[in-house]
This record gives sequence, structure tokens and C-alpha cells, in this order.
Amino acid sequence: MAIKEDVYTRIFQILSYAIIIIASIACLLPFLLIISASLTSNESIIRDGYHFIPQEFSLEGYRTVFTFPEEVLRAYGVTIFTTVVGTTLGLFLMTMAGYVLARKDFKYRNAFSFYIYFTTLFGGGLVPWYIMLTKYLGLLDTYTVLIFPGLMTPFLIILMKNFIRSSMPEELFESAKIDGAGDFKIYYRIVLPLSTPGIATVGLFLALAYWNDWFSSSLFINDPHKYQLQYYLYNVINSMQFIAQMGAGTGVSLSNDMPTESTKMAMAIVVTGPILLLYPFIQRYFVKGLTIGAVKG
Amino acid sequence: MTFTKKRKQRMSILIAVMVIMGLLAGCGGGGGSSAQKADGTDDKSQKVQLQFYMLGDAPKDMPAIEAEINKLAEKDLNATVKFNYTTWTDWDQKYKLLLSSGQPIDLIFTADWTQYQAYAKKGAFLPLDDLLPKAAPALQKFVPQSMWDSVKIGGKIYTVPSTFKEYVTDGFVWREDLREKYNLPKPTDIKSYEAYMEGIRQHEPNMKPISLNSDIKGNLHDRYSELVTKSVGALPYGIGIKYEKPTEVYKYWGSDEQKEELNTYKRWADKGFIPKNVLNVKDTLQDQVTSGKAASIFGDNPNRFNDMVIKIKSAHPDWKLDYYPFPLTTGYATPVHPIHNGFAIPKSSPNPARALAFYEKLVTDKRYNLLTQYGIEGKNYEVKDGYYQMVGTSSTNGFPREGMNGWAWRNPEYMLFDSSFDRVKQIFADLDKIQKPDLFTGFAEDYTTYQAEKAALEQVEKQYLYPLQAGLIDNVDQGLQTFLQKANQAGLEKIQTEYTKQWETYVKEKGIK
Repeated sequence: MAIKEDVYTRIFQILSYAIIIIASIACLLPFLLIISASLTSNESIIRDGYHFIPQEFSLEGYRTVFTFPEEVLRAYGVTIFTTVVGTTLGLFLMTMAGYVLARKDFKYRNAFSFYIYFTTLFGGGLVPWYIMLTKYLGLLDTYTVLIFPGLMTPFLIILMKNFIRSSMPEELFESAKIDGAGDFKIYYRIVLPLSTPGIATVGLFLALAYWNDWFSSSLFINDPHKYQLQYYLYNVINSMQFIAQMGAGTGVSLSNDMPTESTKMAMAIVVTGPILLLYPFIQRYFVKGLTIGAVKG
Repeated sequence: MTFTKKRKQRMSILIAVMVIMGLLAGCGGGGGSSAQKADGTDDKSQKVQLQFYMLGDAPKDMPAIEAEINKLAEKDLNATVKFNYTTWTDWDQKYKLLLSSGQPIDLIFTADWTQYQAYAKKGAFLPLDDLLPKAAPALQKFVPQSMWDSVKIGGKIYTVPSTFKEYVTDGFVWREDLREKYNLPKPTDIKSYEAYMEGIRQHEPNMKPISLNSDIKGNLHDRYSELVTKSVGALPYGIGIKYEKPTEVYKYWGSDEQKEELNTYKRWADKGFIPKNVLNVKDTLQDQVTSGKAASIFGDNPNRFNDMVIKIKSAHPDWKLDYYPFPLTTGYATPVHPIHNGFAIPKSSPNPARALAFYEKLVTDKRYNLLTQYGIEGKNYEVKDGYYQMVGTSSTNGFPREGMNGWAWRNPEYMLFDSSFDRVKQIFADLDKIQKPDLFTGFAEDYTTYQAEKAALEQVEKQYLYPLQAGLIDNVDQGLQTFLQKANQAGLEKIQTEYTKQWETYVKEKGIK
């Protein structure tokens, strides 16, 4: 027979369930509203406002989005490409940097650590950064510019360094050396396999940063074919706002058909949908990586 | 929300500082190849690529148009052009970066609303006075001398103005079918407009008599000052200058005039014309009318009125919209200032002479002009009875009318209009009879000395003035007193004095009386 639960535990359970239910409803309702709005005709949204059940059902929003599906798909492609390439390359570079900085027999490690650490305190600012990338590196309008600036994040390098230093004793490297391993072999045969939790954490941060990046596109990309997904979406919605606000005073008449409320909502669904479906499958890795990273990083 | 706003603010201040520093440093030459000879003349035997910068989004067929243009330009000028677009997302920040980073840019769009005057003053653009007769004599002749004179900043020309004359003055927009049905008066001034709204309120209780959104200042005050106080322009900081007496500056805030204005809004709010949640409404004014939610707009320009007519014609053929321009009441109409649409050559341009020559082609050569304004004939548009006709619909057509946002190089001789534009042309013709020059737009405000006060005042306005303008405060006089007190604390006095000083210098310089 189960032990009888005491009243306080019961109350606690009821309370916590209630709070969690309320919180999840608060998360779900706005999303439901977006789905409903994406299926409502635009005029009805303006006239009657948003409703959970469409007052006037219409697929017009989705039709507009998919008139040029290749644009959305291309933006998807760019984001996936930059995320995969950026994360892989970034992980490679940052684990290398972390490993080198963690080795006590590297003479200049303090100087290098300081150099990296210093950039987290003092940045050059937006304009010099912009001039550097466009004028001196000539990266305007290239895919490289979407990937390159995010490859070495000081914070993540320091995180990686600390992780390697705390989880791998210096003696391990020494014994490997005695057994005849070179520095690079130690890196990929010993350090890499042992630091998977750290790699998961750093990789997660990197991947999210690339996936959510819109700022690089905004600054450095002129060619609409190279827009990242987030920027593509942001731009569409922003154009709408611009025309509403600026158009009145300037008399600028824009002949392009502007997306309507329902189109915006439909686009939000199209853009977030796949990631939402993907999330349940990879969620357990997220949780694992974060907890390990939190304890040891 | 507040976090991102703060960050944006901080960022924009940072950028502003950087821009000034960048400009002071002279931003050196760009990395582009230059075909300019030592004596300043253009070496046409050397092929160059021009970088062309526009605001907004590129139309879908842009690559095809670019290829066509390049075919022509290569033959005529031994040059190719790359058309770049900023998009409307943070375009002002990008615009600043483009001009301050010293990138090789040969041509860039300018307008009063992109701060042409301020950039020209800071030396971001190349003066065109000496270059024009050498590189683009036809263009120099094409643009009337009076226009060249009125775009001058500090005595120099920095932009090529557009010669197409249009009016962005306001006018009442209302549902004519409803007006006829209930036998309401035609809105021509505040009194008749109020009577119209009252009628709508009475007969169509579910409809909003007036279309409003959270931009209360733009929806109500700016239109009011054009119609009733006959202000010289959209003046900031509670400054008052009347069109008839441009040299006299007075304090609008706190004046009897303003009290009357605020009382009008209060009355409208009491009668239920202005909804209580107006400061949260985000829908555009036009959408509210075209969807049948609202019955009128206090003021909109002829172009946008026409857009609404077209939209309604297809969705609700039984509705009718009508328009009454404010100038017919006020007695004068000001066509847009030549600064309103133009193209400048940034200091960083490696090939200013070739760029200007190309721009001349764009404006004066029919082939270039039609291609860049309307696309490829047959594929993007057709000409029927002299009218522009789009091929397909705006969602299937890759290059709608003026799809490149090429307002600056419109050439009145080649322009094609949709048949619906006849109505706008009619309005323009009416306004032509009472036209007077725009005195306000040529003025370049320099707020570096009172930047902090300006920011503080903007906050005060948002908090204390907007609710007054939305008629949400019960006691108007008391509300106004509170607002003025807060505004004075924010440094209103200093701003007004400085602004007045600048205005007086400007008026004297331009010989405005």
C-alpha cells in the first residue's frame, strides 16, 4: 500500500500543476492566435480583430507566401548552409584554440588568453567592424560574411578552454607524448573524444547563433538571393511597417504588393513550422548538453 | 522591448559619432578601379563598374533589367552598373554606414527624408557644380536652373533633382456612397468634416467615423496644422511659422491656437470619433478604409487616395471614395521641393564623371528610362491608348510600375500612367492653379548643440502631449499646463531659441520674405 501523501504535498502538486498548465497555455495561445490569423482573410482581421476561430476563413495568406516559394526555400537553404558550415568550422577552430590555451607548456598562452579576453571587454564598434569586413576583406555580398564573423566567439573559446583544463589532467597529455603522440594526434585522438559534452554545449550555442542570425544579412548582403531566413522574414514585415509610416509623409508610392496581416502570419508559420516539428526529436540532446555544460563549463 | 529600444538608441548615437569621425577623416578613396585621369577628366577607354545604391527592395526581375541596361551602357559609356538595394529594414542605419565607411559608391538616392541636407552639410557628397557641364551637359540643361538653385546647400549642388512635379499635400478622403445615402455635407473644413463624422456615427454605429492609429501626431496634428494653422511645414518642438509670414517665428505650444486644436480633439473624443484605445491601434489608415472599418481619413495625399480607389474598385465595386484637397480651402498648394527626390555622388566614388554621365542617360535617354521605370515592354508592361498596363497581376509580375523605386529619375516626357491616375492628374492640375513654392524643405536643421534636450523633449511629448492630441485628457487646459511645464524642464527654451536662430539665418540666406 502506498504511503498516504500528506496534505501539503498534495497542495504543492496541485499548485505546481496549475502553474505549469497556466504557463503552457500562455505559451500556446499566442501561437494558436497566429495559426488562426494566418487562416483568416485580411479584411476580417482589420475589421474584427484577431480571433481564435477565424471569422472569415481564407487561405489567401498561404497562397501569397507560396506564389514565390523558391524565395522562402532559398532563404531556408542559406540558413541551413551557414548553420551547418559555421557550426562545424567554428567547433573545429574553437576546440583547437581551447586545447592550445589549456596546455600549460604553451609559453604564450597567457598573452593569447588575454588577447582573446580583451576583445570581450572592448570592441571596435560597428563602423570599424563594417569597414574591416567590407573594405579590407571585401566580403560584401558573400556567403563567407555570414559565417566568418561568428567562427571564433571569445566567450565560447574561454568556455572550451576551461572545460578542457578542468576535465583533462595535464598528465594525460604527457603520457600520450611519451607514447609517441604528436600534438595534433593528442588533439584528435584524446582531447576531442573526451570533450563531447563541451562540444555539444558550444555547438548548440553556435548553431543557435547562426540559425537566429539576421544582423549579418542586414548589413552585408545586397543580393536578395543570399538573405538568411530570419532576415527574409524580418524584412518582409518591416517593409510593411515602413510603408505604413513613411509613405504618408513622403508621398512615396510603392507599387509592389505589400503583404497583408494574414500573409505575415502565414509566413511566420511557414518559417517556424519545420523547426517546431524538429524540436521534439533533438530536444533531449539540448537538455543533456546544457546541463553538462552548466556543471563543468 | 525597452531593452532593444535602448540598445538601438545607443547604437544610433554611436553611429552618429562614427559618421562624423569618418567624415572628418575624409574617408579616403575606395577600392574600386578609377578611370579618372590626373587632370580630372574621364578616361572612357577604361571600362568601369558603377555601384548604384537604392532604398527599398529590389524587384524580382532586377537581374534581367540590369543585364539589359548593361548592354546599353557598355556600348554608350563603356561601363556596367550594379544595382544595390538597402531594403527598408534599418535602411537609415545602412545608409549611414554606406556613406561613412568609404565604400566605393558611385550613385546614391537622396531625399529630404533621408537627411540629404545634413549629409551634404557634413561633406558626404561630391559637389557637382564643376562636373555637370563637363560630364552631363544635357542633364544640366534638362533640369531647370531654378531647381538647381533650390537644391544648393552652402552654395553648392550636391544632388540631381527630379523634374516631375507632384503634390503630397493632404486632403479629406471619405466614403462618398455613405455621404450620399445619408445626405451629409461634403468635408471641406473642420466644421463640415465634423458634421460628416457625426452623420456616420449616427447612421453607421459600427463604423469608425475617422480612421486613426497610434501615430496620433501624424494622423491629427500634422494635418490640422496644414489645414487650419497653415503652417509652413511639419515644424518640430512647438515652433510656429505661418506660410504667409515665414520670417515670423512664434511659440505654438501654449498659444490660443493650440488650445483650440486640442479642444477640437477633445470634442471629437467626447462624441466618440476617437476610440479610447487609439494609442494601441496598429492598422494602417488606408487599410481601415478599404476594409470598411472606417469611413474617412482626416488627410491623405492624392497618390495614396488613388491607390485606395484602385483597391476598393476590385473588392467592393459598390463603394465610392471621394477626395477634397486642403489647398482648395487654404488657398495655396506647395509642390514637393526638388530635394524630395534626387541622386547624389558620394565623396568615395571612384568614377564620378562616368557616374554622372550614366545618370544623364538614365534620365534623358528614353530606352534607359523606360527600362528602369517600367521594365521590359511586352514582358512586364504594355502601352494601351497611351496608358500603362501591367502584364499579369502584381504578384506574378516581376517588375511592377516604378518597381525599382526610381522616383528620382522620372522624366515627365516619357512617363506612363495607369488610367486610374487621370484622377490624380486632375487634382494636380487644380493645385497647379494655386501653387506656391515649398519654403520649408530647403531648411537644414542642425541639432548637434541641443541633442540631449531634443531626446528628452521627445519623451515628454510622447507621455504628455499625445494623450492630449488624442482627446484622452478630461481637462485640456490643465493637461496643457503640465505638458508645458515638463517640456520646459526638458529644455524647450534652449531648443526653440536655437531653432529660431537657424531658421532666421536660412530665411535671410534664401531671401524668403
